[in-house]
Amino acid sequence: MPDTLLFILVVVPFIAALGLYALRNDSLRMVLVLATAVLLTGSSLALFSHETAAFSTTLLGLNPQPLIVLLDFVVLFIILAVGLSAKHRLIIYLAGAQIVLLAVFKLVSPAEATGQAMFLVDPLAKLMVFVVSVVGSVIVIHALPYMKNHEEHLHLTTSRQPQFFAVMVLFLGAMNGLVLTNDLGNFYFFFEVTTLCSFLLIRHDLTDEAKANSLRALWINSLGGLALLIGLLWISLDLGTVNIQQILAMTPEAAFLLLPIGLLCFAGLTKAAQLPFQSWLLGAMVAPTPTSALLHSATMVKAGVYLFLRFSPAYSGTFFSTTVALVGAFTFLAAAGLAISQSNGKKILAYSTVSNLGLIIACAGVGTPAAIAAGMFLIMFHAVTKALLFLCVGTIEQRIASRDIEDMRGLYAVMPVTALIAVLGALTMILPPFGMLLGKWMAIEASAHNILLVVILALGSAVTVLYWARWAGLFMTYPFKGRIYAESQPAMTRLPLFGLIAAAVLLSFYAPAIYNSLIYPTISTLPLAMVDAVPGTSWGILVMERGSFPVIPLFLVAALGLIAAIYFYKVAGKVKPTGPYLSGAQSPDNENEYIGPLRQSILPATSNYYLEKIFGESTINRWVNTTAMVLILLMLGGGL
Amino acid sequence: MNFISNFIQSSRIKSPWVMHFDCGSCNGCDIETLAVLTPVYDVERFGIINIGNPKHADVLLVTGTVNHRNKKVLKNLYDQMPKPRAVIAIGACGLTGGVMREAPNVVGGVDKVIPVDVYVPGCPAKPEAIIDGVVKALELFAAKS
Amino acid sequence: MTSAQVFLALIAGLFLAPLAVGVLTGVDRRVTARLQSRIGPPILQPFYDIAKLMGKEPMLANHWLAFCSMLYLAGAVTSVVLFFLQADLLLIFFVQAVGSVFLVIGAMTVPSPYSQIGAHRELLQIIAYEPLLILVIVGIFLATGSFKIEAVYAMEQPLLFKLPLLFLVLGIALTIKLRKSPFDISASHHAHQEIVRGVYTEYSGPYLAIVEIAHWFEIVLILCLLSLFWSTSIVGLVLLLGITYFVEILVDNTTSRMTWRWMLGTAWITGITFSLINLLWLYYG
Repeated sequence: MPDTLLFILVVVPFIAALGLYALRNDSLRMVLVLATAVLLTGSSLALFSHETAAFSTTLLGLNPQPLIVLLDFVVLFIILAVGLSAKHRLIIYLAGAQIVLLAVFKLVSPAEATGQAMFLVDPLAKLMVFVVSVVGSVIVIHALPYMKNHEEHLHLTTSRQPQFFAVMVLFLGAMNGLVLTNDLGNFYFFFEVTTLCSFLLIRHDLTDEAKANSLRALWINSLGGLALLIGLLWISLDLGTVNIQQILAMTPEAAFLLLPIGLLCFAGLTKAAQLPFQSWLLGAMVAPTPTSALLHSATMVKAGVYLFLRFSPAYSGTFFSTTVALVGAFTFLAAAGLAISQSNGKKILAYSTVSNLGLIIACAGVGTPAAIAAGMFLIMFHAVTKALLFLCVGTIEQRIASRDIEDMRGLYAVMPVTALIAVLGALTMILPPFGMLLGKWMAIEASAHNILLVVILALGSAVTVLYWARWAGLFMTYPFKGRIYAESQPAMTRLPLFGLIAAAVLLSFYAPAIYNSLIYPTISTLPLAMVDAVPGTSWGILVMERGSFPVIPLFLVAALGLIAAIYFYKVAGKVKPTGPYLSGAQSPDNENEYIGPLRQSILPATSNYYLEKIFGESTINRWVNTTAMVLILLMLGGGL
Repeated sequence: MNFISNFIQSSRIKSPWVMHFDCGSCNGCDIETLAVLTPVYDVERFGIINIGNPKHADVLLVTGTVNHRNKKVLKNLYDQMPKPRAVIAIGACGLTGGVMREAPNVVGGVDKVIPVDVYVPGCPAKPEAIIDGVVKALELFAAKS
Repeated sequence: MTSAQVFLALIAGLFLAPLAVGVLTGVDRRVTARLQSRIGPPILQPFYDIAKLMGKEPMLANHWLAFCSMLYLAGAVTSVVLFFLQADLLLIFFVQAVGSVFLVIGAMTVPSPYSQIGAHRELLQIIAYEPLLILVIVGIFLATGSFKIEAVYAMEQPLLFKLPLLFLVLGIALTIKLRKSPFDISASHHAHQEIVRGVYTEYSGPYLAIVEIAHWFEIVLILCLLSLFWSTSIVGLVLLLGITYFVEILVDNTTSRMTWRWMLGTAWITGITFSLINLLWLYYG
């Protein structure tokens, strides 16, 4: 049975991608996308009923390994070809080096090691498959009406949707493979496929900017790929195995192996767009919004942090681990600061992604069971909420033709449903009792013994509140004039939004149950060197050694507060509104305007503080990138 | 409930937050009004606080001659004060338009634009008289509601 | 805790503590008046103000203000109740942040420039004091080994001896939270009115009363946090609170309002330097 599920999760998307690429018919494409989404979602949920198990599988009775090797080279040669046609030296060198090294690896790799226990279904993998398949499917469904709109807007003669959806679905398959595989060689293959997919998606619109940014994404991720390959080669030569579980079981004794592990982590940093590699993820904004949503929430960047969590036992309790935590925490703070200075909605989301991934990496670096649990919580909640916010921004952008948050001022009066969902989404990022905050709380409590780390986390946490609260408030800045009517949207736009916000709230509510069924089994079996007591739950209260978080009681209190607030809202709605205070100079015709010079009515304009002198990209980019670079060198040095 | 409404009723008298609006006076009455807020007179004894925002104010102190330009502002500020509220016109100009009352751009006293509860005469009005005016207005408050 | 204790804690948290803070605010205004050689209002003046506001006509520029004012109160009350139930300190801190965030969002719902500026200044205040409070809580953790309040009460020595510098850091946060000079940049009590009362501008009548009550709860919380620094004896606790509050009033009356840049710089640089020194001393000393 797991064989079948695995086949659906990993191989079916590849087949569906071929189909989507061939299909030119809109409704058939829709049917195929929906069918794939349903299949993926169903299988990812069905996977939860299976025990943890490592096993090999065959593809229609054949060993898939040779096919993977073949495809691996195909991917690398495509990247090489891209580099050659764009005359991008860096990409040519990186791809060339990878081809040579991969050939070496295939020649010298321990043959008996590949092919046995190729896949591993454990709770961490189940969580990741859930994130990839469910959130990814929702994004792909939302993309159907979005891309139709998008292409109408661009006046294309031939639709480029077949390529787009083919790559999107392929991406999901590659991510599922990446998190399920237990073979480091195959891990590398899926890693490269995601690199290629992201390149294709970013350059989708074929504008000059898109092309330039996609090449940047390609070379940065190829750099990561090269690091991964070197690490892989090193490990396979030293340990004689590429089985991830065996590597993890061996490494505590083989401390000299930290450097190759460090190279793997370096690959994770590039993939997760950590400072100073954030530029590729920011450049990815030029792509259609579903692409950004996919890259930021369910796929790609999550591959990077997954790598950190997966390999955390290999470096837990070392100096290297402490530096990993510092690298992550520094990115958490610096990216959050950079987010303050932005007014472009997608850029804020991008920096927020970088920042939150930094927090997850910091958790992996702290490396106690509680910290790993925090990291897993953060991965799940971040995926759901970030996908939601990107889809919201995409929907808003198609309506108001801007992604600047200043233009979203008073959006509640224009599209109340989307605006309210976005506000709630932003609040789930920063407030209890929601999951992101639960994760942040666990992270801070788990790292409280490391003073430098906790200072950075404290600052980052405060800065995060600023840019979210500012954005949430701004949606609601509107002159109150009476009843506002819900906007109309296609069902495939609205349902994903409702689904994701419901998921964000419900998953937060069920956080204790999720902890018991998924996270506890993971962290209680991980061979971590730094061990504190494993947190437990009772009566919906998450109890750690250092403190406790009453998830469900807090939800009940929040519900009470919400009911009272809604009652107040209703009562206040009955009173006739007055205009805002404008020093008495209110215009008689429009109470939101004031009478200015020459008796003109003028609408007062305010805009946010962006603190550019302190947090602007031009002010701090150089400093934070340099610091991050130094920290990463320190991290790799810690591996020696 | 009776106790609570009684407490609210008595609190109204004990906590008048005043807002001061200058309709275009010679600043004589304004200086006297501000003098009321200094430690010498210490009106905070009566719970009086000077507030800049009509949405928080209970008592509006108006000085100066009302003209066609500032009457809209005066009306607007008055409209933005939640009830119960009181208006005190201060000085000869606030009462009738004063020496400027015949000028072509002048409307006249404050009561031409908004209802006035207490008139405090004087040119300028003395601080003691202004305090007395506020106290009178508070008595009216009690009677009003 | 037994159920009787829980009941007592609820009563204390929900009613007694805010009433005490109301009186304290009255004393504050009285002492301030004396420092300015005035007589000052009656001690119960804050209660008269609240009651009067409650009795005023509801008048709003946007009815989401009502929604947000209620959630501000809910967040503040929940955090205080959690403190009296001896919950996790870091959690209590995050719950009180809910209230602050909704106060800001409420102020932002109205397109009035005063309210908008006030909201942003309030946000800047939040980012100035939030890290300081987290660091104080981390300091308490390093001294007691737990984030739970009961661990503090199990201490044999007052925390103040272990965390003297963090106490000063908490003082900075307290000044910002109390909206006192030199940090009263988003809204102030008393006569300063350059920005027409900032974040409070558009809250009026009963809704302003709710916001004021919520602010009392916030003061309760931060004073409770202060009281942890001398948890071993009631006399010490009362003395510590009294002296600290008196110093706050002195500072309020002898300093002038500064800009947000200065506030952010001071709070972060002084706060973090002091915290680091204290934490390192605690960790290695």
